[in-house]
Amino acid sequence: MSWYHRFINVLRSNRVSADIDREMAFHIAERADDLMARGMSEADARREARRQFGNRTVQKERTRDADVMTWLESLAADVRYALRALRASPGFALVTILSLGLGIGANTAIFSLINAVVLRTLPVVRPEELVQITIGDALGGSVLTNPIWEQVRDRQDAFSGVFAYGGVSLDLTSGGEVRRAQGDWVSGDYFSTLGLRPALGRLITRADDFRGCPPVAVLGYGFWKSEFGGSPTIIGKTISLDRKAHTIVGVTDPSFHGVNVGESIQVYVPLCLRPGLDARSNWFLHIIGRPKSGLTTEQVAPRLAAIAPSVFEATVPQHWGATEKADYLTNKLGVRSAPTGLSFVRREYQRSLTVLMVVVALVLLIACANVANLLLARAAVRGREMAIRLAIGAARRRLIRQLLTESVLLAGLGAVVGVVVARWGSALLVGALSRGSFPVFLDLTLDVRVLAFTLSVAVATGILFGLAPAWRATRIDPQAALKTNGRGVVEGHSRFTIGKALVVGQIALSLVLVIGAGLLLGSFRNLTTLDPGFRRDGVLLVSVSLRNSGYPADSYGAVHSELLARFRALPGVEAAGASQMTPISGSAWNDNIKVDGYAQKSAGDGLVYFNEVTDGFFAAMGTPLLAGRDFNETDRPASRPVAIVNETMARKFFNGRSPLGDHYRLVQHDSMSAPIEIIGVVKDAKYRELREETLPTIYLPVAQDAKATPYANYELRTSGPVSALAPAVKAMVAEVNRSIALELTPLSEQLDSSLTRERLLATLSGFFGALALLLAMVGLYGTLSYNVARRRNEIGIRIALGAAQGRVIRLVLGEVTRMVLIGVALGLVAALASTRWVGSFLYGLSPSDPATVVGAAVTLACVALAAGALPAWRAARVEPIAALRDE
Amino acid sequence: MTRQRNDILQGTLGLLVLKTLATQGRMHGYAITSHIQRASAELLRVEEGSLYPALHRMEQDGWIRAEWGVTEKNRQARFYALTAAGRKQLAAEQESWARLTEGVTRVLRYA
Repeated sequence: MSWYHRFINVLRSNRVSADIDREMAFHIAERADDLMARGMSEADARREARRQFGNRTVQKERTRDADVMTWLESLAADVRYALRALRASPGFALVTILSLGLGIGANTAIFSLINAVVLRTLPVVRPEELVQITIGDALGGSVLTNPIWEQVRDRQDAFSGVFAYGGVSLDLTSGGEVRRAQGDWVSGDYFSTLGLRPALGRLITRADDFRGCPPVAVLGYGFWKSEFGGSPTIIGKTISLDRKAHTIVGVTDPSFHGVNVGESIQVYVPLCLRPGLDARSNWFLHIIGRPKSGLTTEQVAPRLAAIAPSVFEATVPQHWGATEKADYLTNKLGVRSAPTGLSFVRREYQRSLTVLMVVVALVLLIACANVANLLLARAAVRGREMAIRLAIGAARRRLIRQLLTESVLLAGLGAVVGVVVARWGSALLVGALSRGSFPVFLDLTLDVRVLAFTLSVAVATGILFGLAPAWRATRIDPQAALKTNGRGVVEGHSRFTIGKALVVGQIALSLVLVIGAGLLLGSFRNLTTLDPGFRRDGVLLVSVSLRNSGYPADSYGAVHSELLARFRALPGVEAAGASQMTPISGSAWNDNIKVDGYAQKSAGDGLVYFNEVTDGFFAAMGTPLLAGRDFNETDRPASRPVAIVNETMARKFFNGRSPLGDHYRLVQHDSMSAPIEIIGVVKDAKYRELREETLPTIYLPVAQDAKATPYANYELRTSGPVSALAPAVKAMVAEVNRSIALELTPLSEQLDSSLTRERLLATLSGFFGALALLLAMVGLYGTLSYNVARRRNEIGIRIALGAAQGRVIRLVLGEVTRMVLIGVALGLVAALASTRWVGSFLYGLSPSDPATVVGAAVTLACVALAAGALPAWRAARVEPIAALRDE
Repeated sequence: MTRQRNDILQGTLGLLVLKTLATQGRMHGYAITSHIQRASAELLRVEEGSLYPALHRMEQDGWIRAEWGVTEKNRQARFYALTAAGRKQLAAEQESWARLTEGVTRVLRYA
């Protein structure tokens, strides 16, 4: 009977019982026939037949047990035997279980992240039906404006429910240092389309979403717990969001955290509360819909395509130029399946997670090789046991099965440790993904998929590292094994070819990981040490908002000037400036320009980046002024417009000559601005991210901007520690006006958080690379020590016959060298073939960077020699007399 | 204490079933009991309570295989037949049985 059938028997014992019933009924009927043939009456015959058969239920159970229990019992016996064998060598068991636990744990941790970020569907009703509406060109991708959303909502006939939402960061305080809550603007059908129920109160409905709607809010479950202690009386009370009282109407279900995977929404507010809903070029909304039942994504697409022209016709941004408007009208509406929601974290980290998954899988392979090596050594020790069992008639298959049970059991125990490691490790990883201003939230509850993954990994590893040793252990000629008494003068080399091959494999794999780690660490070092064109340290960024502070718009400029003057007067502040944007903050502003005498090469060739700064900005940032002058009080709204450019800008548009006194003009839709004079050149500085090629950049004076803005970013340079400046800054702003909102961030922190992904990859690949190296060296050391122990007699004789110590050491180290050379050669080939794959993560070095590759190979070789030195030394110290006396 | 009909010595039932199937070919459980009883000249009687668990266990061990079929009286019955592994097992058990009986005989003779 096949394994499959046995297993089925366990699961479908009813079917087995019915079979047995039929078989017994047949037996009794035959017996009755016989009795009747001997002259018994039919009734008597039946009774007698049943009597002879005995208790049918008991017979049936015993028979069924034979079917089912034989298999289970032999399995149980294998497990019992395996447990006894492991208890007999606790050191071996502990080392194995721990190293497998770490390996399986790392794999489970990374997989549970991939599961949470990429695989898991939203915890809503029938998530597989959800689709996202996209716009068919580069203008916004999947981000849309509110006018587009209103048109789609009113015109569509493909969805049973459709909603729009957009992220918003809301201030919970009434002034002073900002405390942010992560929020979503949601349209009326958000919750009903997703099919969600409240944990408390009610959710936002269509009746809440109309122009002029009263301010209400729904709280996220976690936020309700942390902020209000889960108080059930919260409904009807108010919460201050951006200084406006919102009535709390409900709390969401605990499993729901919003449609964006990677964040946990704390407050949901109706879309109608957002200012500027009619702005036609304000792109901030995502649209998700649930097609009417029976409609497939393919059937939805033409229906959206049909309404697209009228949707875009009705929403053209009026202030745009003619060509831009014409472009806008060619937009299409598309649709894309969205069962797993949308995710910034997914876009940012999917590839990194895949890389890490491969890395931890390789580490687990290396750990497996170690365990296999340990088992091989054990198999040699247990040779006699196996020989005896074979000799007394055990089937080889049975022994292999029993040895495999032992390894799967080891892997299973490792998996238990692994799940614990993973719980801890994945939470640690999510913490590492979070940036100060952007906390990453991932739902890491263990689900069936993760557990199934861990289980399969455990079984697969168990078989992987167990099969070769089991095969080896049972391939013994019992007679020979029993006769030799386990001793010989010269141990054959063949016995250990598997062990050596495993070590070579380990060396090759760990070299790949060490090279990968070297490349990622090198890139990270390049990014953290490059000159960004400004000083990384000693600068405090203070972001200020006058909105909701009661100032009239025409006084914003004056308040900002006063704040800047007061910042400059603070003790410890060496220089201060203000700007519209801070570097490496993620925000950007670009526009097309024309320079007389510069022939534009393509449509986008005139695109340059802008920032608006005050005088003193460059001094505060430590960006040197290379030519011309800084802005000053002579640059006024009425004076001639001026600008400062960076070196790249000067080089590109002015062909090496000095741009001072020269002009550029801004392309404004269909027309051009008046010429703007260039009065200074500053050193190149990074703008959006540290990795970028420096962008051509123009700095404009804040003082010449006619538009009043409530926002400003101040850069304060200090000679002392940046954090020491914070209390004085807060006190000073409160002195001016308590209701001014401000946020303080050291510039160095802003740079650090822009490198979160790089740091994570570098740290983890470095850690796993080191772990791989360590595991491989343990494997090498173990194999060598074992070989030396086995060859003790041989070595003793060699020494007795006059071999010098050096010769014995060379004998052992020669073995190391051979394994290392083959391993390194294989590893190099594998590394060169695979590191290209991480090419896009690298900065400032190529995937085959010679210094890194050679460095890694040399490191590995040195460590390998060190690992081999101890066994070699031990071999040289073999006392010939002692070795031979043992004989 | 003597019995009129010997219950089969523990462990020998398998041997008897294997031998029966080897000589008689495909058989159902009832026929196996009848054959053993007849062939032993009614000296041995197979307990039904032992037979079916034994048959199923031997099936698990791969010595015999079973399938449903119809008897000449048109009844549904489970038929058993020897496998190659069962043939080997039979040879082994026959040999060890011979040794056991020889050993026992010698001891009895000595005593």
